[in-house]
Amino acid sequence: MDTLTIIQTIVVLGIVAVALVYVLRRVIKTTRGHGDCGCGHGKDCHCKDKKKW
Amino acid sequence: MNKNQDKNQENVTRLLDNEPVGKTVQVVRVMGDGAFRQRLLEMGFVRGAKVTVLKNAPLKDPVEYMIMGSHISLRHSEAAQIEVTDQDAEFCDMEDAFNGIVETEVAGVDPMADNVLRVVLIGNPNCGKTSLFNNVTGAKEKVGNYGGVTVDSKEGWFSIGGRKVQLVDLPGTYSLTEYSPEEMYVRTYIRDNHPDAILNIVDAGNLERNLYLTTQIMDMNIPLVVALNMWDELEKSGDKLDIEMMSRLLGARMVPLTAYNGHGVKEVLQATMDAIDESEQETLHHNVNYGTLIEDSLKELGDMCPELDRYTVLKVIENDQHAIQLLDGKDNADEVKQTAAEMRQRIERDYNDDIVSIITDLKYGFVRGALAEALTPNPERTVGETKPGYSMDRLLTNRWLALPILLVLMWLMFEATFTLGAYPQEWIESGIGWIGEWIGKAMPDGILRDLIVDGIIGGVGGVLVFLPQILILFFFISLLEDSGYMARAAFIVDRVMHRVGLHGKSFIPYLIGFGCGVPAIMATRTLENRRDRIVTILTVPFMSCSARLPAYLLLVAAFFTANQGLILMSIYLIGILVAALTAIVLSKTILKHDKTQFVMELPPYRKPTARNATIHMWSKGKQYLQKMGTIILAASIIVWALGYFPRHEGQTPQEQVENSYMGKMGKAIEPIVEPLGFNWQMGVSVLTGAAAKEIVVSTMGVLYTGEADATEESTSLKEKLQTATKPDGEHVFNPIIAYSFMLFILLYFPCIAALAAIKREAGWKWVAFEVVYTTGVAWLVSFIFYQIAIRL
Repeated sequence: MDTLTIIQTIVVLGIVAVALVYVLRRVIKTTRGHGDCGCGHGKDCHCKDKKKW
Repeated sequence: MNKNQDKNQENVTRLLDNEPVGKTVQVVRVMGDGAFRQRLLEMGFVRGAKVTVLKNAPLKDPVEYMIMGSHISLRHSEAAQIEVTDQDAEFCDMEDAFNGIVETEVAGVDPMADNVLRVVLIGNPNCGKTSLFNNVTGAKEKVGNYGGVTVDSKEGWFSIGGRKVQLVDLPGTYSLTEYSPEEMYVRTYIRDNHPDAILNIVDAGNLERNLYLTTQIMDMNIPLVVALNMWDELEKSGDKLDIEMMSRLLGARMVPLTAYNGHGVKEVLQATMDAIDESEQETLHHNVNYGTLIEDSLKELGDMCPELDRYTVLKVIENDQHAIQLLDGKDNADEVKQTAAEMRQRIERDYNDDIVSIITDLKYGFVRGALAEALTPNPERTVGETKPGYSMDRLLTNRWLALPILLVLMWLMFEATFTLGAYPQEWIESGIGWIGEWIGKAMPDGILRDLIVDGIIGGVGGVLVFLPQILILFFFISLLEDSGYMARAAFIVDRVMHRVGLHGKSFIPYLIGFGCGVPAIMATRTLENRRDRIVTILTVPFMSCSARLPAYLLLVAAFFTANQGLILMSIYLIGILVAALTAIVLSKTILKHDKTQFVMELPPYRKPTARNATIHMWSKGKQYLQKMGTIILAASIIVWALGYFPRHEGQTPQEQVENSYMGKMGKAIEPIVEPLGFNWQMGVSVLTGAAAKEIVVSTMGVLYTGEADATEESTSLKEKLQTATKPDGEHVFNPIIAYSFMLFILLYFPCIAALAAIKREAGWKWVAFEVVYTTGVAWLVSFIFYQIAIRL
């Protein structure tokens, strides 16, 4: 393996690790109910446990 | 009033259900009890109110009635709960119940005591609160010409005269009783947050019904400003309102407003600030005068619990359980409860009616009396004549034309999504193709190039191309919502909803579900009955959300040359059918319960505004792009990595993918999906769609791009699917497999965000049920379809 391939592999594995951490964090946040649930409200999303009915 | 009631006994009473179309009658009383009765009373079905039977829905049920200028839809069984008599019968006129006002001294308060100036927006459903909220705060909250769009509080800020004010948009409510979740929510919010002022938005064209809520807010003794929204429509109708006189009677500032174009907004805000400033001094608040007996009771009970406001004291007398709970812990709680019970009995005996009807009648009596003083109706309008804005109902809810029009409109929406969206889609597709090709040529061979070209561009690009279609679909939905047609669609299909054991109100969550399941599941909060809510929550995911649309668009465009709009529509209709069948099964088995009644208001038709449609499209487009840059990008990278590793020397790209982690996973589940006509790539795609449904397409984009020869000229995902072959040379896809795959995508378990919403609203038990049930149904439906279709 040449140096370029090694660097490329490290960069790619780094990107994959970041993506994996992002997805896992997102899943955990969503199931806990404090993340952006995808409803388009960003920080004000409905998941935020503001007021119960 | 008892004298009047005696007169009623002499009149022949009948049930509203038996009245013919076109007939105008007067309400005598609403029978039954509980939430439904309360809702009818709130909506104006009070003694002496005139009701006109307008029309039967195309399927004969429900029936459209006009009362106090509003159009209300009631089922036959519900109309049978209302006793009526001839409109010219000698009868109690509610103006008799007009006793004027009483004044209450309220001590001055420091509005900045909690360091924030807070104004809450309250009003009937669909009176324009969110339009005003968006206009004032610059927010882009969803609005629509039907009730129940806002289901929780939305907070925003505005500045006026150098002061920063928090504006809170609350769900629309007809009243502040304890009978429905949204009413309790508004009531609790006010009690817990002590707003510095209440901005009550009323529909100026329907003052009688809207001011009923105002009479309840007046009792809270909080600075009040009444914004007369849709003022332009009142002017157009020919009615004249003496605003000054009305303000004097209510003891509140009244300001004309046209929220959708911003006319009067500045004046409304200024009046609100003036009311807040005034509250720093001791002020006199106006309250409805309920007559000597009730006023004396209010005073006596108020003296026993001075910390409760007039509104709560009245609720204690009305036997409102939530108000009574507030007494718990007080030294004299038992004494207060006992006194309140005695007062209630005395009042009911004296008025010869139940307490809820008495108070509602008196409040409506006040409103009627005040309007008799201040409102001059257009003399050319007769009783039973509909107000402007309803003329299109002659066509759109016509007995014979309504259903065909509904189907044609749906077909038009899907056809336009396809045909109009195809042009910009091609441009984006070629743009992405060009970028992929350019990067492919510019970068040296290697893992990084593979990640960028196959993983990121293949995955994200595969989904991005459907942005125009998403925008077009939401543009059409926005038009239908803003025009008021959605409520008509509910009116037209209500009988079907009733038949399958669903509450008519479930229609709104279903509608929202075509956009996204998460807010749709939240919207079930407008349903009073928990069992209704659970049935609706569990069936909402069958309404195909917009995230599944890219997969349909890809497969329909690739494998169906004719009737693409119809095929897309059929997928949506199958979703509705499965939801209906599920609802029937659930409501007859594990979620068995009595059918809940349903009252729905049919709003007047309004011209949809380009601004609103654009805001709606923009917010959906932004949301879609945000997903591209976050979850879909991350998922595409992971899917690519799982399909790329481990690397084996000397293998063809096809062998490489098959021997990858993803390939092994896919092969493991292949036996389960094979009977549906799917290969392992399709099986993996539906699995990764758990994170977000768009990822189904991005996964296919990654997996199928990976198969392409690196030297081959880049082609679109659609073409790759069309040409993909199995090792034996047979095509992976054909129209039957594509349709079976679409059915599975439509029906299988919802994404994690929707499951999280189900967990919050219903609990883990129902999440587990939903995952197993939906996936089971998806497998079964796809299996039956595929196995039958290949044999035909």
